[in-house]
Amino acid sequence: MKKRHHPVVRITHWINVVALTIMVGSGLRIFNAYPAFARRGETFCCYPFERKPIPASLTFGGWLAGARNWHFAMMWVLVVNGLVYLGFVYTHGEWRDLVPRRGVVRDAWEMVRFYVTARKDHPRQGKHNALQRMVYFSFPILGALAVITGIAIWKPVQLAFLTHLLGGYVWARYWHFVVMLLLVVLTFGHIFMVFAVDPYSMVSMVTGTYKEQWSPEERNARPFVHLLPAHQPAGAGTTPSSTPPPAA
Amino acid sequence: MASGGALGAAILAACDSMGPRSAKPLLEFAERENEVLERSLFSHRSMDVPRGGALAAGQRFPAYFISDRVPVWDEATRGVWRLAVGGMVRTPLSLTLADLSSLPRVGYRLDHFCVEGWTAVATRTGVRLADLARLAGVQAGAHYVDFESFDENYHESWDIESAMHPQTLVVYAQDGHYLNSAWGAPARVYSPVKLGYKNTKYLTRIMFLPRRTGGYWSDKGYEWYGGV
Repeated sequence: MKKRHHPVVRITHWINVVALTIMVGSGLRIFNAYPAFARRGETFCCYPFERKPIPASLTFGGWLAGARNWHFAMMWVLVVNGLVYLGFVYTHGEWRDLVPRRGVVRDAWEMVRFYVTARKDHPRQGKHNALQRMVYFSFPILGALAVITGIAIWKPVQLAFLTHLLGGYVWARYWHFVVMLLLVVLTFGHIFMVFAVDPYSMVSMVTGTYKEQWSPEERNARPFVHLLPAHQPAGAGTTPSSTPPPAA
Repeated sequence: MASGGALGAAILAACDSMGPRSAKPLLEFAERENEVLERSLFSHRSMDVPRGGALAAGQRFPAYFISDRVPVWDEATRGVWRLAVGGMVRTPLSLTLADLSSLPRVGYRLDHFCVEGWTAVATRTGVRLADLARLAGVQAGAHYVDFESFDENYHESWDIESAMHPQTLVVYAQDGHYLNSAWGAPARVYSPVKLGYKNTKYLTRIMFLPRRTGGYWSDKGYEWYGGV
């Protein structure tokens, strides 16, 4: 049976789970050493929690030096793993399932309507629905932005042209933080939807095994609704779809 | 199962932990390799130029030292303060503040990059370290420089390339005034190519050496290279 995800996709996915957790955790510990953005002697416009530290339980590294050591070591794992993933999906063709197509915004809106029960039946989808396409396409972009903004604050003098492009050190550090927040929010959304809509996808991301009757489209699955397979929607035939069954 | 293990590791990884001790050799390997990359990125042509609208920190410039109280040079017991320049040099120097002030003077408006993540702008005035090195006749085998201080045992060593950068100064004045004790009087080294903790204040001696000698924060776990 064909694997839903190629081993390279699965392996890079789980390496990313560990790498991102350590990058965010150590990054937050680094941030806590000066949990603010203002230059000394100035104020900063755009962060409501200036000088309030992140809770220690969300940080990793124990202290600033430890956090920096982890951050500057794990960044290589993140980048190499990311490049392997991107190189693979490009050369192997999986990018076709991930790149947004014409009408993706409309399709994504239909997915939202379905999830909030404004629409009865699951929109037709390929491997991923439109919401997933948008999120999975955003992840590598946000990852690249996190790396670029990180490099800008790592070398604000030796790579001053890059730091300058981002508005200078103070703003580059802010954008690095904002990109991290976006990554974290989308990741939590992803994890929630995996558990709430398609827990079978966890199996497919480990062993690659997936059965069509498990798919959210077959189950007409919403968060926490129709989690078990072989559900027949009330009064319908077999596959729920937006096209009506042939006339009797 | 693999996913559960990864998730478990990921969860344990946070929660304010320092990570597994077995990771230490890997972290040290990463620091060494990063230093190779950082040295290749380093150029004497990279200059720090603070953003146009940035305000100088002025009195809000932080005062950091490791002694219990602000280190103050006690002339009564220690005599007149002098900056010694020695090690692998042809002519060791011993300069008073008046000697330093009479050498060719350079001033730059510069960013200060603290390892904690904040920056501050200040005008730093002093003698270019490269000029002092030339005056003392630094010898070919001196690949490192150690900056010693009278703030307890605080010292930090640098690669000589960073020490010879045109913006690396022995600073005796900040924002137009001679340094006060809070900010490292009588003299400190300052360069915008190094993080703040590498820029030793309360200087006593600058030594040109064939091997690196660590440093106060470097020995505790912060990166030795500490370059920006």
